[in-house]
Amino acid sequence: MTGPTATPKRSRITRRKLVPYLFVLPNMVIFGLFTLWPAVNGFNISFYDSGNGRTFRAVGTDNYNRILGSDEFWAVARQTIVFVVGFVVASTVLATVLALLLNGQKRGRGALSAAYFLPVVVSPVVVGLIWNAALQRQTGLVNSVVSALGFGQPAWLIDPTLALVSVILVGVWVHVGFYTMIMLSGLQSIDTSIDEAATIDGAGAWQKIRLITLPLLRPTTMVVVTLATIAGFQAFDFIFTLTGGGPVGATTLIIQYIYENGFTPPIAYGLASAAAVILFLVIFAVTFLNYLVGRRTEAM
Amino acid sequence: MTARLEEPPRAVAPPAKRWASTSGKTPSVGAIARTTVLIVGAIIVVAPLVWAGLSSFKSQAELAAQPPTLYPHDFTFDNYTTGLAAFDFPRYLLNSVTVTVAATLLTLLINSMAAYALAKYNFRGRDLLFLITLSAIMIPLQVILLPIYQVVSSLGMTNSLLGLIIPPAATPTGVFLLRQYMLTLPDETIEAARIDGAGEFRIFWQVVLPLCRPALAVLAIFSVIWRWNDFLWPLIVAQDESVQTLPVAIARFAGQQAIPFSQILAVSVMSIIPVVIVFLILQRHIISGLVKGAVK
Repeated sequence: MTGPTATPKRSRITRRKLVPYLFVLPNMVIFGLFTLWPAVNGFNISFYDSGNGRTFRAVGTDNYNRILGSDEFWAVARQTIVFVVGFVVASTVLATVLALLLNGQKRGRGALSAAYFLPVVVSPVVVGLIWNAALQRQTGLVNSVVSALGFGQPAWLIDPTLALVSVILVGVWVHVGFYTMIMLSGLQSIDTSIDEAATIDGAGAWQKIRLITLPLLRPTTMVVVTLATIAGFQAFDFIFTLTGGGPVGATTLIIQYIYENGFTPPIAYGLASAAAVILFLVIFAVTFLNYLVGRRTEAM
Repeated sequence: MTARLEEPPRAVAPPAKRWASTSGKTPSVGAIARTTVLIVGAIIVVAPLVWAGLSSFKSQAELAAQPPTLYPHDFTFDNYTTGLAAFDFPRYLLNSVTVTVAATLLTLLINSMAAYALAKYNFRGRDLLFLITLSAIMIPLQVILLPIYQVVSSLGMTNSLLGLIIPPAATPTGVFLLRQYMLTLPDETIEAARIDGAGEFRIFWQVVLPLCRPALAVLAIFSVIWRWNDFLWPLIVAQDESVQTLPVAIARFAGQQAIPFSQILAVSVMSIIPVVIVFLILQRHIISGLVKGAVK
């Protein structure tokens, strides 16, 4: 009896053991091929150079030596840091303020939320084109308001400093609705009884926000800061059609630098891949730092 | 709305108390200021989009007017007719729809299968796979652009829609999101189906997936927005016009010297109208879905 039944039973057990592997297989094949292997290989190819993207030669640490000695790279790095810091600070502060205001607003909150959120779903390429039109010095919507307020006609996209400011402002415009809604959901999960107790104790509105709401909101704020930091380092698409990285490279950020060196002639593959590894390490470090800060504030 | 506006004053008897009260029954100075700030802010956010939409109906001469006009003084559809003649909108729209739908279905299928195994099976290597997935959430595709392109080109997937659909499909975010959701499903339901003699895949397909509908909806919203608005990856992979999606085609169109801005504007407005309509219909679900996905 044992003979005939044992074989099918054992094969059923092995098949059972195989099941979870079959479930993860399709995802992990694609993930391994198009994420994991490239992530590992990214370090490897940063030690090679190519002028055409097809034939490669090993150059050791030459790419890193060249990029760290390149004025262009440092200009791009500086602009990227200015953009990321400006973008993260401005969008986090603005999202917090808007969320606090929306949280107190009962009537029309849905419609207002939808208005603030709308830019999130609009294609970034189109965002860049629309803002390019709106920021034109003499024919744009922005300056018709700015000059009516008596501030003249700033050269938003022509002056290098103002161009970087414009890129930050448009970046905030794109993302702030999303961050506001995250903040609002954080606000709504705060226990209102603490707030009520403070009111009874005679705390003013500003005191309550500063001493109760903002500290309780800190975990949500960390989520927004982390998301904004990663989005900031990734910024490329709307800038591509807003300024194209100009004027004279003043708004070229790191992703555009990688794209241009890696894919548009003249190709400098080595520089692009070294820049990508540096960016990877920076994002990793910043995310880890955010995590540490977040954990410390949660413990407090 | 008007009725509700009138009601609160009647409820509060002494008129003197009305303005001192902060209970929200009567609009206080603070509430009026708050509402004003929020409305002005919302107008600032929406204004560029509305202005662009209105401007797409202006003549070329009016678009160059200094200072700019707010709304079209001589209304014209010319930008749309000439724009559509120069820009193969239906083709790029079809490419965008194909990529978005196919990639989203593929993402939902393979992510949920992987998530199910990670949530409901014990197998060797499970924790390692989960850890790798988790750490990959913070690797943006942009950072590994060159090595991914090498893989895609060695597989002969450049200049094909497959090259746009498959590589970004195995999203670590989706696996994570669905796994967390599936952990909350009761094991008894799955065990009961197993005792009834259902096969493992049938259990997944007919029992688990229907229970995961809310989480699948969140991932679907993410995936549709990601794929529809994707730019950098399609820009690199789809160099041939025949496989370009709307964002890439519009950026290329806008980069041509000979194309007047009026036509670029008309094409841009046309490309965002479907998205805006879908958003306005489903706004509550989209906003709450994206927020849930981000906070997880």
